[in-house]
Amino acid sequence: MNQTTTLERPRTGATASLEVTHALTQTLYREARCLDDEDYAGWVAMLADDLHYHMPGIETRYRRDKTDQVTDLTRMAYYNDSLDEIKKRLLRLETGTAWSEDPATRYTHIITNVEVEHTDKADEFRVFSNFYAYRNRNERDEDSLIGSRIDIWRETGGAYQLVRRRIILKHNVMLSKNLNIYL
Amino acid sequence: MRLERIGREPEFSRYMDLKEGWLDRRIFSDAEIYEEELYRIFARSWLFVAHESQLPKAGDFLTTHMGEDAVIVTRQPDGSIKVYLNSCPHRGNKVCFADAGNTRRFVCNYHGWAFNTAGELQGMHEEYCYDEGDIDRKKNGLRQVARVGSYKGLVFATFAQDGPSLDAWLGDFRWYLDMLLDNEEGGTELVGGCIKSVISANWKFGVENFIGDAYHAGWTHDSGCRSMNDGQPFPPIDMENSYHASVNGHGWEFGTEGVGDLFLLGRPKVMEYYEKIRPKMADRLGTMRSQIFGSVASASIFPNVSFLPGISTFRQWQPKGPMQFELKTWVIVNKAMPDDIKDEVTKGVMQTFGPGGTFEMDDGENWENCTTVNRGVVTRHERLHYRCGIGRQIDHDTLPGIVYRGQYNDANQRGFYQRWLDMMEATDLGAMPPRPEPRLTGVAETRDLPGLFAL
Ligand code: FES
Ligand SMILES: [Fe+2]
Repeated sequence: MNQTTTLERPRTGATASLEVTHALTQTLYREARCLDDEDYAGWVAMLADDLHYHMPGIETRYRRDKTDQVTDLTRMAYYNDSLDEIKKRLLRLETGTAWSEDPATRYTHIITNVEVEHTDKADEFRVFSNFYAYRNRNERDEDSLIGSRIDIWRETGGAYQLVRRRIILKHNVMLSKNLNIYL
Repeated sequence: MRLERIGREPEFSRYMDLKEGWLDRRIFSDAEIYEEELYRIFARSWLFVAHESQLPKAGDFLTTHMGEDAVIVTRQPDGSIKVYLNSCPHRGNKVCFADAGNTRRFVCNYHGWAFNTAGELQGMHEEYCYDEGDIDRKKNGLRQVARVGSYKGLVFATFAQDGPSLDAWLGDFRWYLDMLLDNEEGGTELVGGCIKSVISANWKFGVENFIGDAYHAGWTHDSGCRSMNDGQPFPPIDMENSYHASVNGHGWEFGTEGVGDLFLLGRPKVMEYYEKIRPKMADRLGTMRSQIFGSVASASIFPNVSFLPGISTFRQWQPKGPMQFELKTWVIVNKAMPDDIKDEVTKGVMQTFGPGGTFEMDDGENWENCTTVNRGVVTRHERLHYRCGIGRQIDHDTLPGIVYRGQYNDANQRGFYQRWLDMMEATDLGAMPPRPEPRLTGVAETRDLPGLFAL
């Protein structure tokens, strides 16, 4: 996994071609549609074997405070998962006893602000995006999660797979009771 | 502190009959009862405010709440810890907006009053506007809590001038707490960060769930357990050799098989680690406690802290009105653990009991619906059933507290509400009865007390 392109600001950073940008934007939309439709098998198929899926918990701190709250993986995180760990979480939905998922939650992921850059590796691209994820369930239970993402997507055989994702949620107190959603 | 409300005619006993085993639903949504809880319970209890490991250096601070009162907790140059209101004595503005950090002083954004980390007023912007005699710096510092204490790393504070010492408040519960806080040389620390979420439920539902509700686990969390453990269901409960123990409203429910909660965490390396240190743990805490640790178990410290020994989630249920609480969660690990084990524990906790955890996800909705549905004007007058295991109290040679046999039980919940009632009705905290009479006698070092280890 250490061989993989990092999420940090690029050394190259040249904007990818229109064609690649289009293909990756479509890939992000397709991923969002999988998540909205609870098509988790479809989603997992888009994830690389060496996936690192990370959403750090971020405290409110003064500007002068240089604590690394984003890349320090020993700190608390909503997600700090390998592909196997994501699959373990998803198993819960297959048991038939995930009571709080029945009736189903209604999801919409809105993905915007997509930028695609080259990395040092010809087959890996750094992709920036913002998300607005809306959830509604039962009668009037609703919340919105808004934030930004930096991804590394790898081209394999004409399709792209997600290798790394860092999600920055813009909440301090997460204004919902749980996180039964992937972002 | 003097609280003008205390001493009003107490009539909270009508909300429950714990000998019969029922509760009135109104305590979970009524605004007036909630207001009284803030005065009678949160303004008078010893409340958890920090773990010492969060404040290693002088000037380290964090902000939190005691009830709904915002406070700052700081490490002093002499190593002690001070706790004071996060509210400027001038107009009341918040003086610290960060969750945590390190500082030499807090300066109020409004008019620039500046306080050192002891909370003392040091100066202000344009000080010449005050004439001689207008302001006494000594009297205009940040309002300190009455008392601060710590037990094996956990720091507690109280606004109550009088009332039990922290040792007496925890009482024999320290015997149980040592399984979490002192199961290995070096004690514990919290992993960096704190994750906060909001649940629209009454705070007591979180506390009572962790204090004794093993019963919900196998049903509510069937999906969580199977997902973390290749489809395997919950380990069976041994009703003969599992217990509820309640001390002064705190409670610990537990098995004695030693592995249940470790299994639920779903991290084999953590399980191996504890198996390796278990003989040492037995030297340290005695055989029985070394067998309790790691079992299917959950616990709460009165009034609003909970944890799972073995799973290592540590949490506080902060009241935000009668029908909402903020859940603060941390991961607690042994300091002596190698880094890779700490990482395993942290990942395991976040995958089970983080907001996206396979267990956590099924809890919140239950508590929210218990709260909102209980509020219906007809519904609120229906009693709730808290009688499970009411006839199973035992005397146990080794286990201190009010002990009931069988982990599926409402006994600790009844113990919690008994203490709730004691505090809601007490004019003088010192006159509250110990529940039960303590076996340990006022000693902070509980690890090696003789006479408690025979299995
Ligand atoms: S309110 Fe703080 S200085 Fe005026
Ligand atoms: Fe639960």
